[in-house]
Amino acid sequence: MTKRLILLSLVLSTCLLVLGLGAHASGAGVLEAGSQRNTPKGEGVIVAMGNSLTAGYGISESEAYPALLQKQLAVDGYACRVVNAGISGETSSGALSRVQWILTLKPDIVILETGANDGFRGIDPVLVEKNIDETVRILHESGATVVLAGMQIVRNLGKEYTDAFNAIYPRVAQKHGVILIPFFLEGVAGEPELNQADTIHPTARGYEIITKTVYPYVVKAIEKRKAKGPQNP
Amino acid sequence: MTILEAQQLTKTYRLGDREICVLDGVSVAVAEGEFLVIQGSSGSGKTTLLTLLSGLDKPTSGRILLEGIDITDFKEEELAPLRNTSIGFVFQSFHLVPSLTAIENVMFPAELRHDHDAEEKANILLRRVGLLDRAGNFPHQLSGGERQRVAICRALINNPKIVFADEPTGNLDSSNGKAILDLLLELQKERRATLILVTHSQEIARTSDRIIFLKDGRIAAHGLGSHQGGRDGFSEQHHVS
Amino acid sequence: MFHKSFIRRQLTRSRQQTVVFVLCVVLSMVTLIALDSFSRSVNESMLMDARTLHAGDIIIHSHYDFSPTLDDAVGSLVKQGLIQAARVYDLYSVVRTAGDKDSLLVDLKIVEPGYPFYGAVELKSQRPLEKVLTQGNIIVEQGVLDRLHLQAGDTLNVGEATLMIADVVLHEPDRPVNFFSLGPRVFVSSRDLEALNLVQKGSRVDHLYLLKVQDPGNVDRLAAELRDVATPDRERVDTYRTAGSRIKRFFDNFLFFLDLIAIFTLLLAGIGIQSAVTAFLQEKEKTVAIMKAVGATNRFITLQFIVVLCLLGLAGTVLGVLLGFFLQNFLPFVFQGLLPQNIRTGISGWAVLKGFFLGVFAVAIFTSLPLYRLRDLKPAVIFRKEETGNRRGLPFYLTVLGVVLVFAAMILWQLRDVRIGLYFISGVGVLIALATLLSEAVLLSIRKRKIKSLPLRQAFKGLFRPRNATKAVIVTLTASLSVIFSITLLDKNLDANFIQSYPEDAPNVFFLDIQTSQLEAFSRELGIQAEYYPVVRGRIRSINGEPVDVAREWQRRGDNLAREFNLTYRDYLLKDEALLQGESLFRTGVEGVQVSVLDTFAEANGIKMGDRIAFNIQGVPLDTTVVSIRTRTKEFIQPFFYFVFQEKVLKAAPQTVFTAVRLPPREISAIQNRMVASFPNVSVIDLTETVQVFARILGKLSGITRFFTLFSIIAGVLILVSSVLATRFVRTQETVYFKILGARRSFILKVLTLENGILGLLSALIALLLSQAGSWTISRWIFDIAYHPFPLWSLLMIFSTLALVVAVGLVSSISILRQKPVIFLREQTEE
Repeated sequence: MTKRLILLSLVLSTCLLVLGLGAHASGAGVLEAGSQRNTPKGEGVIVAMGNSLTAGYGISESEAYPALLQKQLAVDGYACRVVNAGISGETSSGALSRVQWILTLKPDIVILETGANDGFRGIDPVLVEKNIDETVRILHESGATVVLAGMQIVRNLGKEYTDAFNAIYPRVAQKHGVILIPFFLEGVAGEPELNQADTIHPTARGYEIITKTVYPYVVKAIEKRKAKGPQNP
Repeated sequence: MTILEAQQLTKTYRLGDREICVLDGVSVAVAEGEFLVIQGSSGSGKTTLLTLLSGLDKPTSGRILLEGIDITDFKEEELAPLRNTSIGFVFQSFHLVPSLTAIENVMFPAELRHDHDAEEKANILLRRVGLLDRAGNFPHQLSGGERQRVAICRALINNPKIVFADEPTGNLDSSNGKAILDLLLELQKERRATLILVTHSQEIARTSDRIIFLKDGRIAAHGLGSHQGGRDGFSEQHHVS
Repeated sequence: MFHKSFIRRQLTRSRQQTVVFVLCVVLSMVTLIALDSFSRSVNESMLMDARTLHAGDIIIHSHYDFSPTLDDAVGSLVKQGLIQAARVYDLYSVVRTAGDKDSLLVDLKIVEPGYPFYGAVELKSQRPLEKVLTQGNIIVEQGVLDRLHLQAGDTLNVGEATLMIADVVLHEPDRPVNFFSLGPRVFVSSRDLEALNLVQKGSRVDHLYLLKVQDPGNVDRLAAELRDVATPDRERVDTYRTAGSRIKRFFDNFLFFLDLIAIFTLLLAGIGIQSAVTAFLQEKEKTVAIMKAVGATNRFITLQFIVVLCLLGLAGTVLGVLLGFFLQNFLPFVFQGLLPQNIRTGISGWAVLKGFFLGVFAVAIFTSLPLYRLRDLKPAVIFRKEETGNRRGLPFYLTVLGVVLVFAAMILWQLRDVRIGLYFISGVGVLIALATLLSEAVLLSIRKRKIKSLPLRQAFKGLFRPRNATKAVIVTLTASLSVIFSITLLDKNLDANFIQSYPEDAPNVFFLDIQTSQLEAFSRELGIQAEYYPVVRGRIRSINGEPVDVAREWQRRGDNLAREFNLTYRDYLLKDEALLQGESLFRTGVEGVQVSVLDTFAEANGIKMGDRIAFNIQGVPLDTTVVSIRTRTKEFIQPFFYFVFQEKVLKAAPQTVFTAVRLPPREISAIQNRMVASFPNVSVIDLTETVQVFARILGKLSGITRFFTLFSIIAGVLILVSSVLATRFVRTQETVYFKILGARRSFILKVLTLENGILGLLSALIALLLSQAGSWTISRWIFDIAYHPFPLWSLLMIFSTLALVVAVGLVSSISILRQKPVIFLREQTEE
């Protein structure tokens, strides 16, 4: 019995390690096989690429922002499919590694939300910027319209670090001329009522605000694509 | 010829701070094939004499000679083979090994000396006493008379020179007792064994070759049984000392 | 009503039986007292430790700054002089060396003076914390110096302040609560809090209030008061008692396990008591019959014997307590290293009282049956020389039922857990039933055998002698041996699986988030042969068409199906894996996607071969069929995966690579530096400390377990002795008859040895069979480890049992061997 306990705790800790730290697991989801089907006429596929903040850790998949976004778009007459491609615990290096995979989803628009886990692990902002820059470049060059979700890292890491980190997003967005959401968690970060007990992951109500934050930029991206004319998927 | 000889046997016990003399200088010689009866009232020392003669107990003083060999100072280990082959016992309360069947009880002494014919001999004896059909029964499944017959068979299986019997009919009713005794005597005759018998019964005593009457640890009288012709068992009585 | 001289006589005679009886009582007392004292000591030290672990009496925790109401409440309590308070801020931050050359993520702990209220922060210089941790000074873990190539006296930029490294921290009382951390520790004085400017809106900080309550009796009341004003769900108020640490839970479980062993020992001691009392009363049967014949009532007789047994029980209890006190000095030696230094192993009045109560209870229960039998005794026994069988009427069975029920209630009381108590009782029941069944079968089969050798046959006969407790002895021996064997086997298996396998190859350092593109360079740089595991994240959509209910799954306390799983791919089994079902990891010629599932997941979720699991791998649906079920055979700390796919299926999916390696502890910092310099995105986790601590505790625990199983071995020996005594009359009788019939001493010795040998061998063999089956089951299904039958150890256990049983049998038969035939015969005739 006792030994079993030790075992369990060891196995558990191993488990946690494998799962990745910071943000452990995700429960929310990806839209049903929709990602592989042909997109509805004139509208398109929006891929929400990101970490647990996109995946919706600890809440139901229908409550995370990609699902809310699709609902809101539908209300306003956009028949877009929003694919939740969030992987909890993913760092910007991970994002860069799977960008080719994302492209197989043939996205029209990619909302890229990454970097927070790098911040939690104190990874050098130079590396984070390099990763995000490269990811945006590949996405952009593929013809997808990129919406980069700006992130502000927790301030306990120190002014030097947070300043360097927070500056990454505007700089990369400007460099590639992609749409920037100034701060993805605007009005949510640091609010006890809008976050789960771990203070990191938003609640369903938090996601409503995030959706409101993200929404205009997505609409902007859709309009931008329309202006550019029809694209080959 | 004398097979067993006791010289000046004395046995004393300590009982608390008292010293009790149970046997006091008893001498007796038993001839081969003789049927000797030891009699006496309760506490006269007859059972003690029997245990000393049979080597089950050591005398305080005096000597015992079996076939001319002094066995008085024999150790238990030296006595064991004697008991196994030269001596047979029949007790008042049978003393059968409870975990063994009738035939196994009979066979046991023979098996101890690695006699390969043990089973055959036991069968012969049991048939002789009319218990062949009860051979597989355990002692507690047998009546008192049956148990004693098994005990007699066990005492005789190794063809001992001497059979000691201590009130073998004491726990049996009179008719059963008579039958058992007759059987014992018959077998004794058949096998030409010496029989030393402790009994209260005058009737049995009369059938003996010789009677020793004990009183307070001494031989009070010698008598002749019916075989010597005297009708009165104590016709030639005399005091030893 | 009491007959003093009668009672005295009963006490002074039948010495051997009384000794065994008293010893059984002593044993049960000592077991209970030792265990209770141990658990109490552990509990006490754990509470003390809990205080140390939390560094205070009351701990208030929040992820946000404390609410003004709570802050005020604490402030007013401090003002009233009821408490002392210290605030602690725990946060991660990136510190930089002078000139911002290097930076490192560290775990900052900003503390107010007073911290820690309990325990001590040990510094390399041996100075007290408050002397060193003054404004402008910081204290760091050695890792900080190693990683940044600094030494004490250098400065470090923390937040917006530049602080001097004043010392190195060796040990921190409240550190073990957190098993691992992303960065090494840095202590900062709260006087530098403002200057750091790290705790502000947008910071992620663990806020702690540590309170020391002046009057210990006030802890719970004050905590309740504070809880009333705290913001629900955000500010958590705990006392050192309620804040359960993992270590506390771990010990609770361990103590529970020992409790089970103690109960088992109690059961065995009880059987010993019963058998000793039976033997004791058997000798008194004639006396009782005579008493009845002269008109004593059952009531009177029973009362006299109850007094006798009570006196004996009391003697045993007193002796047990004395021995317990002796053990008090011995216990710390046994538990050394397992318990914290400050633990007091002592005997509490409560333990003595409880042990006393349970002991008396056990005596009462286990003597009731033999005492009950006295009632059936007829005066006629005086006239009979042979034994009569016991009649077993309804009252007898009712008494048996009563004994069982009372004992069951006792177990439930001791365990304080109805479910496990019932499991235990049914477990013991099944064990005894199996032991009875098996021994019955074996006895029946040998009873029919024809055996040539006389001593051997006689030995077998002896097993079936009337009134012999053969069956009872075999059953009790088998049951106790099964438990002892099982514990030994399990211990060996755990040892082989964990402790022995640990030092050689168990990994102590984990590297996470290696990117596929870095793999080659990483492996070259690391320069150590290692298994690299690709990790692909994915979720389960449905199992056999049944969709996963996300909302419900997240409510589950343990693992849940809605989380993201780590999938991997490879076409081979790992060294520590074996197939449970399926001929190979994957099959050829099967359509569709195949998946191999780990047995633990399969069991937990009822997955069978051929089941269909639908995955969602980052937007791509993947319908799979289960083609094999794997199990893990060895190292528990090796990484494992629930789902393994074929390489071709997942090769292209987004993935990171993970590896676990064994590094010499001293080189870890250097290697970590080198790897992080080349691969800044890779995270390193060092588990050396944790694993070592666990390995040490495991070793120690098995020592303690063995110490307590020793008690049950002693109980087994006592049962044996008392059973020899119980059959003393019959044994003596046989020995005497054998002697009269001319058997030598060597023959009798041979029979005795063989008889006990058969008894021991039978019990040992049946017990081995049961324990092998039981241990296999437990290893396989509960511990989830590979099972080794340990044939040599099994043989050794059988031989030691044999030797022990034969030795105990011979020693307790010495007086029987010495018995002079004539004396026995005379007693038989004269009585």
